[in-house]
Amino acid sequence: MASPEYVIAAEDLRRTFKSFVPGSPEKVAVDGISFKVGRGEIYGILGPNGAGKTTTIKILSTLLSPTSGKAYVLGADVDDEKAVRALRRRINMVSGGEKGLYYRLSGRQNLEFFSDLHGIPKREQKRRVSGLLETVGLSEAADVKVENYSRGMKQRIHIARALINDPEILFLDEPTIGLDPEMSREVRGLIRRLSDGGTTIILTTHYMFEAEELCDEMIIISRGRVVGRGTVSEIKEAISDVSCIRVVTEEDPSAAVEALAAEGLDASSTALLNGRFAVRFATRGDDGLGRYERMFSPFRVKSIGIEEPTLEEAYLSLVGGS
Amino acid sequence: MSPRAVCAGFRQQAIQFFTDPQWIIPSLITPFMFTMVMLFLYKDQMDGPVVLQAVLGGGVLGMWANTVFASSFSISYDRINGTLEPILISPSGAYSVLIGRSIWSTAIGLANALLVFAIAELMFGTGLSVADPALFFLTLTLTLFSLASMGMLIATTFILTRRGRILSSIMEYPIYVLSGAMVPITALPEGAGMISLALAPAWGVDAVKHAAIDGYSSMFGVGILEDSAMLAALSSILLAAAFLVMRRIERKILETGSATRY
Ligand SMILES: Nc1ncnc2c1ncn2[C@@H]1O[C@H](COP(=O)(O)OP(=O)(O)O)[C@@H](O)[C@H]1O
Ligand SMILES: [Mg+2]
Repeated sequence: MASPEYVIAAEDLRRTFKSFVPGSPEKVAVDGISFKVGRGEIYGILGPNGAGKTTTIKILSTLLSPTSGKAYVLGADVDDEKAVRALRRRINMVSGGEKGLYYRLSGRQNLEFFSDLHGIPKREQKRRVSGLLETVGLSEAADVKVENYSRGMKQRIHIARALINDPEILFLDEPTIGLDPEMSREVRGLIRRLSDGGTTIILTTHYMFEAEELCDEMIIISRGRVVGRGTVSEIKEAISDVSCIRVVTEEDPSAAVEALAAEGLDASSTALLNGRFAVRFATRGDDGLGRYERMFSPFRVKSIGIEEPTLEEAYLSLVGGS
Repeated sequence: MSPRAVCAGFRQQAIQFFTDPQWIIPSLITPFMFTMVMLFLYKDQMDGPVVLQAVLGGGVLGMWANTVFASSFSISYDRINGTLEPILISPSGAYSVLIGRSIWSTAIGLANALLVFAIAELMFGTGLSVADPALFFLTLTLTLFSLASMGMLIATTFILTRRGRILSSIMEYPIYVLSGAMVPITALPEGAGMISLALAPAWGVDAVKHAAIDGYSSMFGVGILEDSAMLAALSSILLAAAFLVMRRIERKILETGSATRY
């Protein structure tokens, strides 16, 4: 093949759900998403809560059928029952949060259980389970019940569980959610090592910095639609017109902050120690400072200026706040 | 079906059982209490059939409580616990795991029955003798497995509804009566006896009594072979039905995404 080998191709994926409230309209969770993932990549699906990340990853990992559109994973149509059965031997997934393990079983017993379900040959099972425990740094806690694991240990045993069938593609749904910074860093290191070992990884996150640190390529989604895509540098380029405005006032500027929020800008004010208030928000385009100066003048502006946005702020402006 | 996954389900349920005290109540304490009450009620007229009725009643009761509790709990537990999804995307799927768990329930049921026999013997000196121990053991095992299959069918059916737990609780009591374990089916009103005909465990209990009591006159007017054949046939239907329901569940989860949501 001349073109790079794609292991995932999602074409105009759409997924709706019946509303929890009877009678109200269907909820559109994923609204026409397309992307392709090359073998060996770490691919990010970035978006705020409710954007449709979990829904997308469930469709790709064969846990949910798309309402319309197509998804091919390792060449298999995820809507084709027969193809899916073979596909499931070659992929695995970790859903975010603490769920998905038997707490009364030890880490090792959990891995043994799932390796049985994946039909890992008996003579290989022992070695593989020990190897995985080693990989995720849980050899010492292997025989401790999972209920006694810390949050970070649970997340690592989760990942080990998903590696039990040596998957070609690993889907990770918010793998660092609820972890403290130290544990998150460990998990990100683990993801890196897996990728170095050749596993293709699809990762969802709502942290821009995480996508920036890990992903070769990503899509940014909001309300079920793709609002940005590309490599980290391409995304940075795409949001280069975002600037950040910082205003310091002497009176509480809550009213102005609310007005900005109504425009979809993600502004917030902090009270400074000297009794003043600082407001920082990202805007797109070149609309100058004059407008904001007028907006904040009732609150006695001490200073106003343009600053370099962080990637996080730029990303938030792309997905329209929230 | 995958034998490896069956064993895995068995082992997982066993570990869960021994590490979680909540299982002790339905599987050991309930049948114990039941047998005690039966034996005290009948202690003046202790003869073979009465004791057997009490002991079988205790065994089946414990077994059924355990099965309904264990199967319906185990699968809703998987759903709430988030383990249903990793099971579903494994090549083995959930059915084999459920079978394994049912076999564990059967084993616990047997242990239960033995315990109850021992208690009856030690406390009341019933001098209970079993006509054909080997057949008795075999038919008892099959009966318990049929109960487990029934529990499995109920458990899977109830995944499809959100009120599974409530329904399985409602189902708990009729089975005690209709299986003929608590009172002979001949003592039931006509209609209820008819329902028993469709229940695998009722044929099983009849077979067990054949094996245990010399000259036992069948509740259904048949011999132990016919009982066993009906037991096997009805159990197979239960298992096949559970399989189909499980398939339906897997499809429904794909369609509605409700594996982890209520
Ligand atoms: N099974 C479901 N039934 C109804 N609505 C759902 C279901 N799953 C997700 N949704 C809705 O779809 C939207 C996207 O959800 P999700 O994919 O979980 O987003 P994310 O993972 O990005 O937070 C949300 O508004 C959510 O409430
Ligand atoms: Mg999510």
